[in-house]
Amino acid sequence: MLKDFLEGKPLRHPIHPMLVHFPIGLFVLSLLLDLASLAFPSAPHLLRDSFYAMLAGIIFSLIAAVPGFVDYTDIRSDHPGKRTATAHMTLNLIVVALYGINLGLRSSTIADSKISLVPLILSLLGIALLSVSGYLGGKLVYDEGIAVGRHKRRTPTPENTLKFSALPEGAEIVFVPVPDAGRLGEHETLRVEIDGQIMTIAKIDNQFYAFQEFCTHRFGPLSEGCFDGFNVQCPWHNSRFDVRTGKVTQGPAKVDLKTFKVEIRQGKIGVLFARNHDQKN
Amino acid sequence: MEDTVRVMKWLLDFLKGKWLKHPLHPIIVHVPMATWPGALIFDLLSQWQIGGNAMVRLSFYAIIFGLVASLLAVPTGLLDWTGIKKEKQAWKIGLYHMSLNLIVALLFAINLGLRLHTVREATKVEGAPLLLSAIGTLLLVASTYLGGMMVYEYGISVARMSKKKWRKIAEAGGANVPPD
Repeated sequence: MLKDFLEGKPLRHPIHPMLVHFPIGLFVLSLLLDLASLAFPSAPHLLRDSFYAMLAGIIFSLIAAVPGFVDYTDIRSDHPGKRTATAHMTLNLIVVALYGINLGLRSSTIADSKISLVPLILSLLGIALLSVSGYLGGKLVYDEGIAVGRHKRRTPTPENTLKFSALPEGAEIVFVPVPDAGRLGEHETLRVEIDGQIMTIAKIDNQFYAFQEFCTHRFGPLSEGCFDGFNVQCPWHNSRFDVRTGKVTQGPAKVDLKTFKVEIRQGKIGVLFARNHDQKN
Repeated sequence: MEDTVRVMKWLLDFLKGKWLKHPLHPIIVHVPMATWPGALIFDLLSQWQIGGNAMVRLSFYAIIFGLVASLLAVPTGLLDWTGIKKEKQAWKIGLYHMSLNLIVALLFAINLGLRLHTVREATKVEGAPLLLSAIGTLLLVASTYLGGMMVYEYGISVARMSKKKWRKIAEAGGANVPPD
């Protein structure tokens, strides 16, 4: 519940990207006021203003860190965005620490008319690192699709990809047991890789369905999609597919999904996997 | 003529953020989105006359900085919006988002005008500018929520520039993909 709240699900909008506007804008404002104090040494109180802008930036950055950390823990461990997110978080922590030092250094000189060298350098460095870090944050959303459409999903998303190999050699169609499927609840999913083929296994209406992981529009992660009847909906641009046939039921996607047969043999749930990879459906 | 076309195309690509591989509009909007509500906070703090007239001045600078940034946010946002098909729900939301933003920017411009004469000495922001900051912030929150909705609900600009990368990943993962 608390996790859903911090991920912004009740708001239908992630909270971290809302809050980060404040530290970014305020830290930049603080640097501008520092620079203004150099350009207009006769203007009073610029450094006092800069100090308060920085203080407000630090307070907001600490608040923003909380939902940011929750978002971080929710990224699948083998997602390409996980490394970006680690760099983003590390940089942000460094930036806040730098501003903490910066604020401490200037607290005794806020009555000065000109900024001194060390706090100015720290502010420049802070903005430089913050720009890189903010860019990485934007990359997480616009490039990696993190948190896009996440609020539409009611159930937890897969924590990692389960990898299997289609033994034994030789056979054309192999039954690959996926033991974790037994633990799935209604509308929950697994992300499974069998000999390089990546698929989603979903439980709908107490039945199991397997289909390709990637949407055919801009290749969003269907294992993180939501379900409506027998439709899976891509979290990114809301394309829909019938999980039973793979057919597109709502655009923008135009190409159908690959689907895979799921069977239960001797109490084991598994995927019927054709080794030659041409299971076009 | 050809040069004009080339310059226009370069400018459009620049405003779309292609050179950055990141849409430009959501980067720029951090500034007004932070400094205008910031101005409201500083206005409120000024009621207790914190830091002499520091809050009055800080609020003044925050509004200016937001206005300057919003000048750049308008063309980039407009361009992203024209890229959305008119029959999509996101197009309509974009229209509301834009209209509200223009109103907000106008309100803060008036707000700035009202405090021009008192910013040097006053230790307290007056009622009218304070009210304008509050209304502006309220409308801004509604408007930016719509902006966020375009991204997080409808995926506007998501995987637009990384489409090739994801296509490779999907192909390697054995997925059906549309023709390139």
